[in-house]
Amino acid sequence: MKTPSEENHDLIRWLDDEMTVGERRAFEANWQSDPELAAEAESMRWLSERLKAHLPAEIPVPHADFFNSQIQARIAQMEVDDARERAETAASTSSRFLWLRLPWLAGAAAAALAIVGLVWTQSGSSGCSTILSTYTPNPSMKAQVIEHVDAVATVLLLEGLDPIPAEKKVVGFHVHHAESDAEVATTTLFDENGAVLAVVALNAQGQPQMLK
Amino acid sequence: MTTTFQRQNIFCKSGLWRRLCLSCVIWHASFCLAQQPTPAVVRQPATDGKVWGALIYATTDADKLTGSAEQMPTTPQDLPARLAKVFAPYTHFEIIGQHLQDVFREYESWVVPSRDLFLKIDSKGPAEDGGMNLHLQVWREQQVVAKADAILRAGSPLFIGGPKWRGGQLLFVLELRKK
Amino acid sequence: MSAAPAATDPVEQQLDVDLVIRSQAGDTRAFDLLVTRYRSRIYAMTYHLVRNDTEAWDLAQEAFIKAWRALPNFKQDAAFYTWLYRIAHNVTCDWLRKKKIQGDGEFDDEHTNHRAMPGSRTMPQGFDTPDRAIKRQELGQRIDQAIARLSVDHRQAVMLREIEGLSYEEMAEVMGCSLGTVMSRLFYARKKLQEMLKDTYENPI
Repeated sequence: MKTPSEENHDLIRWLDDEMTVGERRAFEANWQSDPELAAEAESMRWLSERLKAHLPAEIPVPHADFFNSQIQARIAQMEVDDARERAETAASTSSRFLWLRLPWLAGAAAAALAIVGLVWTQSGSSGCSTILSTYTPNPSMKAQVIEHVDAVATVLLLEGLDPIPAEKKVVGFHVHHAESDAEVATTTLFDENGAVLAVVALNAQGQPQMLK
Repeated sequence: MTTTFQRQNIFCKSGLWRRLCLSCVIWHASFCLAQQPTPAVVRQPATDGKVWGALIYATTDADKLTGSAEQMPTTPQDLPARLAKVFAPYTHFEIIGQHLQDVFREYESWVVPSRDLFLKIDSKGPAEDGGMNLHLQVWREQQVVAKADAILRAGSPLFIGGPKWRGGQLLFVLELRKK
Repeated sequence: MSAAPAATDPVEQQLDVDLVIRSQAGDTRAFDLLVTRYRSRIYAMTYHLVRNDTEAWDLAQEAFIKAWRALPNFKQDAAFYTWLYRIAHNVTCDWLRKKKIQGDGEFDDEHTNHRAMPGSRTMPQGFDTPDRAIKRQELGQRIDQAIARLSVDHRQAVMLREIEGLSYEEMAEVMGCSLGTVMSRLFYARKKLQEMLKDTYENPI
């Protein structure tokens, strides 16, 4: 990732109408003394207008009825699969939790849950971390969020990750500080003596690569 | 270093552009590595706070610990006990790597206690009660395995249950440090 | 999202809210109406990113399926379209990562000649002479080819700004990055397009 200079930021903020009136006036006033900037701004504006004119915001979906009906069919199938899974889970756990059917134990469990909920609500209002949404690119993985009252922690469980082979050596860093150079899309990690531990550089796909 | 891309269209020819960028990255990295222990002087962008991240190995078997020299920090308080409550049955928790990182306001920040499992953080600005709105990405080498939007608050760490390893599990702890 | 169609009109917005509530209660017919309302926009987004009709169709469908799955957790604190758009963006970008074509710009140009829907912004205003129509088509193809050569991040930035008209803050939310990154991507995307289309600017088609 490279950082445009402040001047480049100004140029696109002007183009995208993200400047205040004052900023805009000041920016346009520079054109008098900087014809190159004026030409660049005009060229960018021309490009922006052509893009807006050419790129459609909507494209009709080919075979639109089939598109919808297939979504409905997949939803119906998912409902069936979920129901079957729930039934199987219930069958396998019911025998283990028979004792919960005892009336006094069920009451005690409900009371315990209420207390846990109360504690969590109170701690949440006093500033606990929260996960608002999660997404896992790999469909075979799931992210589960647990707000753990007892540990006063928010937990993100990543299920379905492939294990790391036992023979692989997982090497840790003790990073004292890091310096980022956005112009060449690198972050350099230093230890407490100022020695370089590694450099994180982004490749063309935006993926991090560890150098060293 | 100042950017000189404006109005220099020659740099934008795609092939030349890519080659130049790649050369810059490699040159820069080589320069940094060659210059150690003297760090390169780079102007740091504005920050929204600091986070501490650690990669932790959890196991039930003390004999399997790696012998890492990393010390448990004083904050988050009682970290091993809190981890044990969440990640039972594991009883031993060993820090493999740790990283104290500024969270940049305008640019991505990397929390890299290990090259195997690390985080990318984008600040989304301050939240109530001194918290910080973040977009997190959990990376395993070159794969992003999860993305999350979160509000991080000091004293309330985020525990991430990662992949299994050596009969135990790798965990990631992220905590907002008070300014 | 300021430019999202459903977010601008309060009546339309309310209709979205009602349909979402019904869908969350398990009403698949209500969800079908949401699909119909947004399929053209979501398909346009996936198409612009992957430049392939078939893949774009599948990805748009996958986005709606994921949205259905995630609906119980949708708290309506954002517009439905904003939320849906982000799901579609994630689905598409992850697919592209898997295909390892992101950023390479090595797209198959034979897939880039998709025509816009009647009445969309691509349609010329008024009547064209045959000569002007051909020139306009030629410029359109050049723009298509140039867009296809951008990295996915850059293409996404251009789309969100020029097509969807999102503010920088909204773009940062959808793209899951910072404001500085948004501006940086927009700047470099435009510089690359500018260079690729330089001759059409200097000698207008």
